[in-house]
Amino acid sequence: MPAESVDHAAFEFVHAAGGAEEYRHRGNGLSVLLVPDDAAPVVAFQVTYRVGSRNEGAGLTGATHLLEHLMFKGSERFNRDLGTSVFQTLQAVGGQINATTWYDRTNYYALLPSEHLEKAVEIEADRMRGARVRDEDLASERTVVLNELDRGENEALRKLLHATYATAFQAHPYGHPVIGWRSDVETVTADGLRHFYDTYYWPQNATATVAGQFDRADALDVVDRHFGAIAAGPEEDPAAPEPLVHRALDAAVTREPEQRGERRVTVRQAGELGAVLLAYKAPAGLDEAADALDVLVQVLAAGKSSRLYRALTDRGLATSCSAYFPRLRDPGLFVAYATLAPDVTHETAEAELKAALAAVAADGVTDQELARARRQVVADEAFGRDGPYAVVAQLNEAVAVGDWTLFADYRDRVEAVTAADVQAAAAQILDDDRLTVGWYVPDVGQAL
Amino acid sequence: MSDLHLAPRTTDTSAGPARLLLLPTGVRDVVSFRGSFQTAPDFGADDDILQDIVASVLDKGTQARDRFEIAQELEGRGAQVSFYSDGLRMGFSGRALRDDLAEVLAIVAEQVRQPALDADEIQKAVVRATAGVRRSLESTGAQASGALARRLYPPAHPNYALEPETELARLDGVTVEAVRAYHAAHVGSDGFTLAVVGDVSPATADAVADAFGGWPATGRTATFDAAAAPLPPGRVEVPMEDRRNLDVHLGHAVDLRRDSPDFLAAYAGVFALGGNFSGRLMQTVRDEQGLTYGIGAGLGGPSVEHDGHVRIQVTLSQENLARGVAATRAEVEGFVADGVSAEALRQTQTTLAGLHVVGLATTGGLAARLLVNAERGFALDYLDRYPDLVHELTTREVTEAVRRHLRPADLHEAVAGSLPT
Repeated sequence: MPAESVDHAAFEFVHAAGGAEEYRHRGNGLSVLLVPDDAAPVVAFQVTYRVGSRNEGAGLTGATHLLEHLMFKGSERFNRDLGTSVFQTLQAVGGQINATTWYDRTNYYALLPSEHLEKAVEIEADRMRGARVRDEDLASERTVVLNELDRGENEALRKLLHATYATAFQAHPYGHPVIGWRSDVETVTADGLRHFYDTYYWPQNATATVAGQFDRADALDVVDRHFGAIAAGPEEDPAAPEPLVHRALDAAVTREPEQRGERRVTVRQAGELGAVLLAYKAPAGLDEAADALDVLVQVLAAGKSSRLYRALTDRGLATSCSAYFPRLRDPGLFVAYATLAPDVTHETAEAELKAALAAVAADGVTDQELARARRQVVADEAFGRDGPYAVVAQLNEAVAVGDWTLFADYRDRVEAVTAADVQAAAAQILDDDRLTVGWYVPDVGQAL
Repeated sequence: MSDLHLAPRTTDTSAGPARLLLLPTGVRDVVSFRGSFQTAPDFGADDDILQDIVASVLDKGTQARDRFEIAQELEGRGAQVSFYSDGLRMGFSGRALRDDLAEVLAIVAEQVRQPALDADEIQKAVVRATAGVRRSLESTGAQASGALARRLYPPAHPNYALEPETELARLDGVTVEAVRAYHAAHVGSDGFTLAVVGDVSPATADAVADAFGGWPATGRTATFDAAAAPLPPGRVEVPMEDRRNLDVHLGHAVDLRRDSPDFLAAYAGVFALGGNFSGRLMQTVRDEQGLTYGIGAGLGGPSVEHDGHVRIQVTLSQENLARGVAATRAEVEGFVADGVSAEALRQTQTTLAGLHVVGLATTGGLAARLLVNAERGFALDYLDRYPDLVHELTTREVTEAVRRHLRPADLHEAVAGSLPT
C-alpha cells in the first residue's frame, strides 16, 4: 500500500483508512475513493449517488429505479444512435457493467480490464449531467420495469418483505418498495424523472470509486479530465432547472413517528410452503449500537452453529432461516425470518423465532459465540477485498449510510464489540411494541 | 498469446490421491479452494437423487465429531465449506484464512470420507429436498426449464428433469440404507482434482496430501444416456396461479460437446444473439420494443461427456406473452438468416476475452476456472490461450456454426405462469 497520498492540483486529500484514500475535487466537491490493488489487471469504477427510494415522495415512488434504467438509454456522447451506448462501449472491451438502486443510493459500476478505465470514467461523467431522459425512451423502458415488477411479484417472499416494510413504515419512504408502487411506475412522466435527475445527479451528491490495478495519480487525472468541469450542484449552475428540494436533501425526508404497538400483516398467494418474518424497528446505520447488531446477526444466523439454525432448521421446523440488519441512513429494521418446513405452523415458527431472540436479550451471548462472530467478520472482511468488484460494492453501501470509513475500519470496530454490547443492543431493539410480524400464507394447491 | 500467464504460475502436481493445482496470487491472507471427484452415478436408477442427498448431509457431522463440533471448528476460523452434487461429479468449495488452510482441508477430508450419515440427518435432508421441489412449483423459471428439458432428453440423460410429482414420489422412497450405500459405493478419489488459489505456498501440497492421503478410488463407471432424444418440436404450457410474469424457454438439442471443434464458434454465435445486454435479443426485444425485463440465449449443459441444448429464455408479462414470443422468434430467425456481422463478432470476441480476464479477478473465480478446465481434460494453458482462440474466430466459422446448431424451426417452447385467458 502506498504510504503517501497523491499530491494533485485538482484534488485535496481528505483521509486514508484501511487501504482506501479519499480525495475531494477542489472545483466541484466530487468525492473520490481510491483503493489500489495489483492482484489482477482489472479495475472497477463506480459512481454512487446519494439518492434512493428514501428520497421519493408520493406519486414518484420508483422514480430512482426507473431513472437508473433510463441512464442506460443514452447521454449526449454515448448513445445507440451513435453506436456508442454504455453497453456497446464497455461490453465491447469485456467490461461487466450494471447499476443498482436501493433505499439510500443508486450506483453505476463497471468492472473491466485496467487499460480501459478512462472509458468508464468518461461515460459516467457524460451521463452525470448529459443523460437524455426522453419520452420515447421512457415509453419502452416503462414496460421493461413493469415486467421486472411482475417478476418480483411472482415471488411470495418478496411480496412479504414489501408488505412488512409498508406496515412498519407508515410515513418514512422506506415503507414503499424500491421498485415503486405499480401505479406510479405506470404513470410517471419523463419530465418528472428529469426533474428528479436535475435535483440529485450532481458531483456534490456523488462519490466516485476506483479499485483494482491502476496508478493513483493517473486515475485522479482521468477523473478530473472528465468530471472536473461539471458544476457542484444546481445552485452553482445558472442553466440548471429549479430543483425539487430547496432544503438540505436529508432534511426533506419524512421522519417516521414512533411505533407504539405490534403490527401484523398477512400475504396470501398461490404457493406451497409459508414463511414468517419478524421486523423490529432498529437504529440508523451510523448509530453506536449498529456494530453490536451486526455481531448479533452473526450469532443468530451465520452458519450451522448459529442460534436460528439450531433452533429451527436443524430441528426440521424451517427449511431456512436468517437474520439481517441492513445498515441504512435513517432508522430501519432488524429482520429475522424462517421459511417453513412442511407441516409446521406459522405460530410454531413465530414462537421459536421470538424465543431465540428473547434469549439473547435476557441471557446475552457466550464468549465462544462472540469469538466466532468476530472471526467470521474478520474473514468476511478479508474476502470482501478479494477482487475489485467486492471492494467497490462494500464501499458503495458505506457511502450510502453516510461514512465510507465504515468499510475501512469495520474489522477494528467489530473486534471492539463486547458480549455486553450485543446483549444491550438486542435488549434495545427487541420490543414487541416496535415489532411488525409478517406471515406468508400460501393458498396451497393452486400453484400447479 | 494473451498475458494471463496462469499456466506458468500454476503448480500442477500430485498430492496423495489428488491432482493438485496450486496458484499463488497477490491477494493477502485468504485462500479459496474447489475440488471434485467422479461418482459414477446410474442416471436410469435415480442415483442423482441419492447423490444430492449425500452431498447435503456431508456437513452434518462425521464418525468422530457431531455436526455442531464440525460447524464450530470451521466457523470459529471464519472458514466456509460447502458440498455440491453436479451430475457425474460431487465436489466441495470453500475459503479459509491462509493460516487455517491445513486444518480446514483436514476437516473437509473427514467430512467426505467418514461422514456420520445419521438416520435423522438423512431424513431431514429428504424433507428439505422435498420442500425445495415444492418451492420450485412456485417458480415460473424452474417450471419452464424443467418442461423444456423433458421434451429434449431421455430420462437417463444428466440434463433430464423429473416431473415435480415424480421427483416428490422418488424422494418419498429414499431410505437411509440407500443413502449410506451410495456413499460407500460411489464416493472415492476417482478423478479427484483440487484447485487451491490465493495466499498459498508449496507447503499447501503437504497439507492436501496429509488430509486426503490413502483415500481409495471406487473404480466404478457411470451409466447414462449421452445423446439427447427430443420429441418433435412443440409447445408445452405449465399453468400456474398468481404468476403474472411468465417464463418462456425456447430450445432444441444440439449435437455439440464442449470439446467439439466448432464449440467455440457456436458459443460465440449464440453469445452474439443473446449473451449479454449488447446481444441482439436484449437490444431489440428489450431495449427497442420494451417487451421484457430479461431475455437471453445460451448453450445449456453440453459437456465433454454428453449433449446439451441451445436455449432462449424470455420473461414476459401476461399482456405481452404472444407479442413477446413472436418478437423473440423473429429475432432468432433473422439472426440465423443474416449471419454474424463482422462488427457483432468483433464485439463478442472482445467481450468474451474480457469476461475471461474479469472472471479471473477473484481467488474463488480462479479456483473454479482451474477446476472446470481440468475436469474437461483440457491442458492448463487452455485458459491462457482462450482469449487468442476467441480472437481467431472468423465470421464465416461463427455463421456456419450458428446455422448448423441453431435451427429456428426446431425450437420447442415451454411456457410457465398464469396464462392469459
